[in-house]
Amino acid sequence: MPDPDERPEKEFAEEWRDAAYNCFSSGHKFCREVCPVMQVTRNESWSPTAFHANVVAMEKGELEVADVAADYVNCTGCGACEVRCPNSLFTGDFYRFRTRTVDLVKAVRGLAVEQGVHQPGWRRWNQLTDERRHEPVLDGTPVDQGRVRDWAEGLELPIGGESILFVDCEAAFVRTSVPRSVARILSLAGYEFGLMNEQWCCGGPAAEMGYDEQARRFARHNLDDWRAAGVRRVLVLDPHDYITFTEDYPRYFGDAYDIEIVLVVELLAELIREGRLTPHVPVERTVTYHDPCRLNKRKGVWREPREILRAIPGLTFHDVDRVSQWSYCSGGGGGLPVEKPELTAKISEQRVGKAAELGVDTLVSACPWAERPLSDAGRARSIDVVDLHELLAESLGVSP
Amino acid sequence: MTVLIGDPVLEELRGILGPEHVLTGKADRLNRARVPAPFPVHRWAERMPDLVVLPASTEEVAEVLRLADALRIPVVPRDGGTGLTDGAVPLRGGIVVDVKRINQIKEIDLGNRTCTVGVGINALKLNEVLARHGLIYPDDPASYPCSLVGGRIGTSGWSLIGSRYGHTRDLVLSFDHVLPGGRVIHVGDGIGRKITKSSSGYQLKHLFMGHQGTLGIATEATLKLFPKPEAEFSPFWAFEDYDSAYRAVGALARAGVATFAGAVLFDEWKVDYLRRDDEAYIPQPSSVKALVCAALYGYEDEVRAGGRRLLRIARSLGARYLGDEISEGDWAARHDRYATPLHGRTKSGQVVPMSWHCEDASINYTRLPAVRLAWHEIAARLRRESDVFDDWGMFAYTNGATGADYLTEIDIGIWEQRLDDTAWAAWVRAKRDLAAVTLEHGGSISACHGSCREGEVDLVPEELGGGYDVMLAVKRAIDPNNIMNPGKYLLDQAYAEEP
Repeated sequence: MPDPDERPEKEFAEEWRDAAYNCFSSGHKFCREVCPVMQVTRNESWSPTAFHANVVAMEKGELEVADVAADYVNCTGCGACEVRCPNSLFTGDFYRFRTRTVDLVKAVRGLAVEQGVHQPGWRRWNQLTDERRHEPVLDGTPVDQGRVRDWAEGLELPIGGESILFVDCEAAFVRTSVPRSVARILSLAGYEFGLMNEQWCCGGPAAEMGYDEQARRFARHNLDDWRAAGVRRVLVLDPHDYITFTEDYPRYFGDAYDIEIVLVVELLAELIREGRLTPHVPVERTVTYHDPCRLNKRKGVWREPREILRAIPGLTFHDVDRVSQWSYCSGGGGGLPVEKPELTAKISEQRVGKAAELGVDTLVSACPWAERPLSDAGRARSIDVVDLHELLAESLGVSP
Repeated sequence: MTVLIGDPVLEELRGILGPEHVLTGKADRLNRARVPAPFPVHRWAERMPDLVVLPASTEEVAEVLRLADALRIPVVPRDGGTGLTDGAVPLRGGIVVDVKRINQIKEIDLGNRTCTVGVGINALKLNEVLARHGLIYPDDPASYPCSLVGGRIGTSGWSLIGSRYGHTRDLVLSFDHVLPGGRVIHVGDGIGRKITKSSSGYQLKHLFMGHQGTLGIATEATLKLFPKPEAEFSPFWAFEDYDSAYRAVGALARAGVATFAGAVLFDEWKVDYLRRDDEAYIPQPSSVKALVCAALYGYEDEVRAGGRRLLRIARSLGARYLGDEISEGDWAARHDRYATPLHGRTKSGQVVPMSWHCEDASINYTRLPAVRLAWHEIAARLRRESDVFDDWGMFAYTNGATGADYLTEIDIGIWEQRLDDTAWAAWVRAKRDLAAVTLEHGGSISACHGSCREGEVDLVPEELGGGYDVMLAVKRAIDPNNIMNPGKYLLDQAYAEEP
């Protein structure tokens, strides 16, 4: 029997206790009905508020991390619970407090891995990522270092330079038309950029699944590669990478991390505003926009994608406001599709169902990781799922 | 009761519900013993069920109750688990029947203006769907974004805008109810599902609402719908003393304005509490000691006219209107901003995370000032006894359109991380004393939460008198084996051997 005061759970609770009690005790569980997993499972054990309550129980010696590690799989990291938390909404600024449920979930997953408690799917995923330097994105898709720039074939992009475009694993190996569209658009606007010398996975997925050492190792490699090439600015098209580079990397590297991270959607909106890009080819579709969770809920980026859509001629745009979309998600994040693809599918079905109610023929997304599960769900309802960057490219008359 | 894996009960439940809907994990059980604080968190483990089931239909609930009744296993129904009287907390282990999966919208009947839903649905989520039809289900508790219809039935909930639309008992027309032995009955006005008034037979609907799970489990309910209001007006007014605010709230409630949906009185302690951080109140001059707000709903023309009348009445009683921005913002944020744990303060002023606990009662208008002072005295005693308690002030909300009585609440912050048996005992004593003050003033121990937590529950027999004996007889008749939420409301007495 280990000394109760030296249990890793007790040490863990030291850091997370106040937030857990704040949640446990507020009486409000407003997170619950916006949580995408909770919405489709109705299982309270898998709700954001339970994730906090478990910390209280761990501190009291009622639970060990092994008892709950599998529960913490049930989170897409969308952040809806955080924005809906009354503790952050109305008093957080004053007390400099923010409910950080997504970080808590990552931390519990990290604690589990540290204690040797693994989820089989995640373990395999991260092992393969470690071997190949990229996520094993789709069974059958060849993923290796030699092919990481294949998506750019024929575009004649330079290697290195002050600004580089970082392409996430899903886009680089599966959704290749997305980075190709981005590259064509930026070239059209005369925006100079290159590609990374030796790009590895950003490390974010490993961090989300609890494999912290691996995540840091991958981050170190990427940062060293940027530095070696004199990179000052990294353009990011994937919201997940955007989180990794703006939240994880600064935590890993502190003040020494001096790379400017530019979200491509924001850059494109700016280029349109400045008149350097003018969408002119009408795109005859009736669309609604899916706010990617990591942009809308976690980064507050929701204006620019709408600006871009409104600049595209021919579109009939049925918008759903960003706050209503707090409870929408594709289910594609946080490693959920790796361990529980059936839940991802249900969440995507629900999201596409909301689009269907609007009578649209197209759901526009701006997140490569959302587009696969949403497309699968969209097929059943004859709704096309189209990437915003691709749609813009079409209206600019550049083909991927 | 201890259920062991492989136990025939477990196997049978898995057969009824499917294995994935029978949960035995410790975290699953701990999280079904959890309600808003402060049920004593230091004794959390004592409140755990032995297992949890997640049924998807009335039939599954009925089968579970049939089995539990045959084997005399305690059953505790659970829906949102946001109630403030521990209705959903098991006292004797057993099976928690968590009905959140029963959340489908079965029917929206536009002709009769009703909808029929599984009780696991949340009203906000339901209203997102009803809005497409220009309709609303106006049951609006503080927990509006997370409470569920079944819990509203089990606790006979109270609504902030009940003065206009009625409370849960008025809004729920009828429901399927599973009796402890597993028989399914339909209760409403008469036998109709969509009947709003019947005088046929005993009026059973009220009996099967607010029983805190001691008489069975509601599964599917038919609800009354209203046109989604075109306009809302929610003026907030400031006063220099409580008495002026008290006079004003009474006058507003008695004015008889048809669109009036409710009024709220904030006392000095509440204003002090809000000043701790609330951006709407920090800049207010220190002369502001009490607040009143009112809410009106309806068509634009009628709300405007009613609002003008209320503004005139308030002005004549010395009120200062706080302006549209504060009024609209505060009312819109009413579910979020009045009970956050971050406002806790020790006696020395140190900020500590405290849990919100709201003690409520129904008090007649004329008794509000006296009850208020007596309650704050009890809160002051608590604070003298221990630094884990903090007085967060009082609200009084109109219960109905005529202004007869008010949901009266005192909010106490409790620093749960430091809660121990001594502080808990002081808290239970205080709850009993608060309830005693209520009864001395002819009130009811609870307007909305129910009254089965430790402390207050001791006075329920006194409050109900002969009615409590009827409660015992009803409990024994409906639940002869005492399987439904045993230990609540002192109902074990119903099974005592005759002397």
